[in-house]
Amino acid sequence: MTTNKHNWPDKDGFFGEYGGKFVPETLMHALEELEKTYNNFKDKPEFKEQFYKDLSEFVGRPSPLYFAERLTNHYRTGSIWLKREDLNHTGAHKINNTIGQILLAKYMGKERIIAETGAGQHGVATATVAARLGLECHIYMGAEDVQRQSLNVYRMKLLGAQVHSVESGSATLKDALNEALRDWVTNVDNTYYIIGSVTGPHPYPMIVRDFNSVVGEEVVAQSKDLFNDMPNAIVACVGGGSNAMGIFYPFIDIKETRLIGVEAGGEGVETGEHAAPLNDGTPGVLHGALSYLMQNDSGQVKATKSVSAGLDYPGVGPEHSLLKDSGRAEYVAVTDKAALKAFHEVSELEGIIPALETAHAFAYLDVLMKDFDSSANIIVNVSGRGDKDINTVAEIDGIKF
Amino acid sequence: MNRLTKKLTNLKKENKKALVAYLVAGDPDIETTVSLIKLLVDSGADIIEIGVPFTDPIAEGPIIQKAHDRALANDVSLKTIYDIVNKFRDFDNETPLVLMGYLNTFLSHKKLIEENQNNAIDSILVVDIPGELNLADYGITNETINTISLISPTTKKDRIQSIAKNSSGFIYYVTLRGVTGASNLDVKEINTNIDEIKKHASVPVLAGFGIKSEEDAKLLADCSDGVIIGSSIVQMIEDDSQTKEFDRIGAYITQIKQAIS
Repeated sequence: MTTNKHNWPDKDGFFGEYGGKFVPETLMHALEELEKTYNNFKDKPEFKEQFYKDLSEFVGRPSPLYFAERLTNHYRTGSIWLKREDLNHTGAHKINNTIGQILLAKYMGKERIIAETGAGQHGVATATVAARLGLECHIYMGAEDVQRQSLNVYRMKLLGAQVHSVESGSATLKDALNEALRDWVTNVDNTYYIIGSVTGPHPYPMIVRDFNSVVGEEVVAQSKDLFNDMPNAIVACVGGGSNAMGIFYPFIDIKETRLIGVEAGGEGVETGEHAAPLNDGTPGVLHGALSYLMQNDSGQVKATKSVSAGLDYPGVGPEHSLLKDSGRAEYVAVTDKAALKAFHEVSELEGIIPALETAHAFAYLDVLMKDFDSSANIIVNVSGRGDKDINTVAEIDGIKF
Repeated sequence: MNRLTKKLTNLKKENKKALVAYLVAGDPDIETTVSLIKLLVDSGADIIEIGVPFTDPIAEGPIIQKAHDRALANDVSLKTIYDIVNKFRDFDNETPLVLMGYLNTFLSHKKLIEENQNNAIDSILVVDIPGELNLADYGITNETINTISLISPTTKKDRIQSIAKNSSGFIYYVTLRGVTGASNLDVKEINTNIDEIKKHASVPVLAGFGIKSEEDAKLLADCSDGVIIGSSIVQMIEDDSQTKEFDRIGAYITQIKQAIS
């Protein structure tokens, strides 16, 4: 857990001009209560001890920083290293955050857990920690995502969670968030809402970042051990932006490391059919925070398109908006097509089937590696494994089981 | 004095309770919204609250969500809403009109609100900003438009005080933990909380969310300065949108009005 590094958010929950707390009045007290609890516990030795113990014994941390030899040879320059979040229990970085937040829920005495999920990874990670503590768990998931991530839906059910298919709006991640917020407004007294990304109202973007920054902390130490230097660049996919924020955060003050977030370019940013608000959005308010947003002239949120359910979201965490404006991080986009190509390439070259979300980060290496000579060290955050995506990819490739 | 303040002052003088009726602009279509507003006023509504449709209305239950979707399918924006209210103002320059919506749509139309053509709108209620803040805090200034703040059952005393101080027009007391149209009213809690708010507020306190029957309306009017009815009306609009015969809505409003008189 990295805390107190750079000074965002401010006391009102803003990262520069982004972030804040834009929620119905009924939730204001719950957010204050959460912020108080978090601030009270985050630096306490017993809290940190429990968090790191769970990460070590239940999740299997630290995850390796692994030299990708064949991928490196493929680009014939630099060294490519993979931060193996795909090896975590439940198969993605999402578990880091849920391990931390369930501790907060326990301290607050909440007996009911809710969460939204896109690709299902956060839903599985939440159902997992709820099962571990024997807490009632409800997961909201867009009906379209329930279809394309059916494997994860079944995993959540096996873990004892109730999965609610959300039919409203575009029936994807944003609508799942709407529905989870409505549940929270209704059951706020006994319910803890585990938001799965660095999005939502303050204090969530801060809490989710802090819990996920264990990834970046490990990378700092592993880089010293493995190549005795800081990396030249870190590449991570960005939907809401939690895996990227987690690995970027400890590097914000390490200026020699380029931080590159890769958004879902869908059919191509120029077509408008994508999920890349940092590349093609304007500041707006959605789900409790002001941040870059895909919206029309009337302030209505646009439908998104991406082959990856986990990136199919019109907004992005407010801290990414700040890092974009300040220029500390670069944000690019790759198309569905490029991501699918990378999905196959990495599977064949490295024996690692990446999540479709992660495949976006890999796809950008085609562009990025041209910037570096052979002495460079480039890290890709392998945010999750691709088992959940095999049905989607098989269907695209015209394969029937 | 704007129309809303004037109306609420007069009602208080006459010892009457306010009836606020809600509908979503552009549901089922733009023309019909104008005639529905007229119908609501003719049937006894004192104040009209116009829902500004938004793609992601997180405080709304399913009935009003669907109405937002129908309105968006008709391309209704804040700009269209000014067309609607201006048409209504040709007939009625007395009834207060309140816009209720989500911050993002207002931010996208700052100019329209600052101009407030013909002073047609009297008040704005933004569902997703903290009650201590108002539109001016987001760079939207118009001194003739006042901000209505929400207070809910989960609002703590210290915040009740600062919200009460900030609110102009009236305070909208959210009667339940939940979304619009839910049905878990706790009249005892509502009574206690409204009493607490009234200690600090200089403006009237109206109650809304989850009020459906004449009995609900009467119970809540007894402990507040008036009630807000939304989902029931919106449901009837949906039910009768094919025939566009809305007599049922008129009768319903008249009954509620009688129940709180």
